[in-house]
Amino acid sequence: MTTPRSMTQSAFFVLTALTDEPRHGYGILQEVEELSEGRVELRVGTLYGVLDRLTADGLIALDREEVQQGRLRRYYRLTDEGLAALDEEAERMAAGARAASRRIAARRAAPGAAPGLAGGTA
Amino acid sequence: MTATLLEQRYRAVLRLLPAYYRRAREEEMVETFLLRVGVAEDGAEDEDEARDLDLMRPSWREVGSVVTLAVRSRMGAAGAPSGYVTLGGAVRHFALFALLLQAAATVTEAALSLAWSSRSAYDRSLLLDVFTSDGGYGWARGVALWAAPPLWTAAYATLLRQRPRGARLFAVAAAVAASEPLVDEAHWSGTVTALTVATAVFGWLTVLAVCCGFHADAGPAWLPAVPPGLAFLGTCVLMGGSVVIRPEGVDSQWATGTAFAVAAAACLAARALAARTDRDRNDRDRNDRARTDRPRNDRPAAETTLALAALGLVVLTLRAGLLAVELDVDLPAGLLAGAVAQLAVTVLLVAALAAVGARDLRAAPRTG
Repeated sequence: MTTPRSMTQSAFFVLTALTDEPRHGYGILQEVEELSEGRVELRVGTLYGVLDRLTADGLIALDREEVQQGRLRRYYRLTDEGLAALDEEAERMAAGARAASRRIAARRAAPGAAPGLAGGTA
Repeated sequence: MTATLLEQRYRAVLRLLPAYYRRAREEEMVETFLLRVGVAEDGAEDEDEARDLDLMRPSWREVGSVVTLAVRSRMGAAGAPSGYVTLGGAVRHFALFALLLQAAATVTEAALSLAWSSRSAYDRSLLLDVFTSDGGYGWARGVALWAAPPLWTAAYATLLRQRPRGARLFAVAAAVAASEPLVDEAHWSGTVTALTVATAVFGWLTVLAVCCGFHADAGPAWLPAVPPGLAFLGTCVLMGGSVVIRPEGVDSQWATGTAFAVAAAACLAARALAARTDRDRNDRDRNDRARTDRPRNDRPAAETTLALAALGLVVLTLRAGLLAVELDVDLPAGLLAGAVAQLAVTVLLVAALAAVGARDLRAAPRTG
């Protein structure tokens, strides 16, 4: 594997899309859109840039090739390293979310201490 | 199934990608794109649908994503062949050298201007006149002049701190400031000198190299042989020193030409030393009858040498541009002779760097 890089949002969702089964390019695009609830809409050029990088880093691998109606489809699968990297990233994000939730709860609980929340919620 | 016009248009966009990438990915990308835009798996179902597809074009965002991929795959992205890896490395080195040269040149010029302004009231007035002449326009000119040193320096430092996005912003702002004389000259004299155009082009070429070279797959930015801070300080001292030691006066490109000449000579000396060490090692191995096919990786050397050769071409253009202006005015003979000599030395150094770079390139490994 090359030097560790921080995982981009696109790479995170592509890896997540491949956790349950190998998928081809369009399958990944659809899954990413669904997983991110429409927030991440990858373009085809962007997707293949991400796939190249993840393949080079050993996080995904080519699973199989199929030819349908004269067109080529390549299916990609998550490798063990990819699963570990995704797990680590998910844990890091979850830890960040937990910390944020704790701070938000503490701020709401403090009586009248938080500027901007003085009026409370409607 | 026949290809629709939409497919043909998308394939035309994919021609932006290098041949190696198209061979590996074109069919797959076309399939993904067509499914994405809603073409059924067995193609257009009827004539109406085929006609609708013929009216469609790939969106600008799709085209943009292919353009980005095309740049990255040529700049040594993951899986690129050897030639593109070297090209990417050379572009990144060029970006760093160009940022260093412009940062050091503008900082040195600003420092010398400030130092000279304390000599007399006349020198002080020269410094302030930039701001006060031509009303508001002069003020804009002064800001552009004094904004360039910190902006180029910030771009250089940010890039070496592995923050390419920040470096791009600083470099763009610095290039805008470096382009101000273009507007200035065109506005006041109606003509623009080759030197002014070359200076602005150098700024924007640096921006282009920073933007294209430091993509998401690019390795970290690093300067060969010297720590970044020392390289910056050393270049500033060298440039400033080259100006103050000439009693007959200097031109604005003298310091830049000197800094390039010293860097190019050091690079060529290092390559000559490395070649000699290689020869000695091979002789030793032959004598020991234990010669193995040691992999020799000359790619980093090729990247550095070719980047310096490209920088030399820019320096040469700037030098020639100023010389063209100098030939039209009555200058001391010593000053003119210095400019001509520097031009000749730069030509020789660029030729030597290009030759050594080509040799290093041939010795670089063929696999990406």
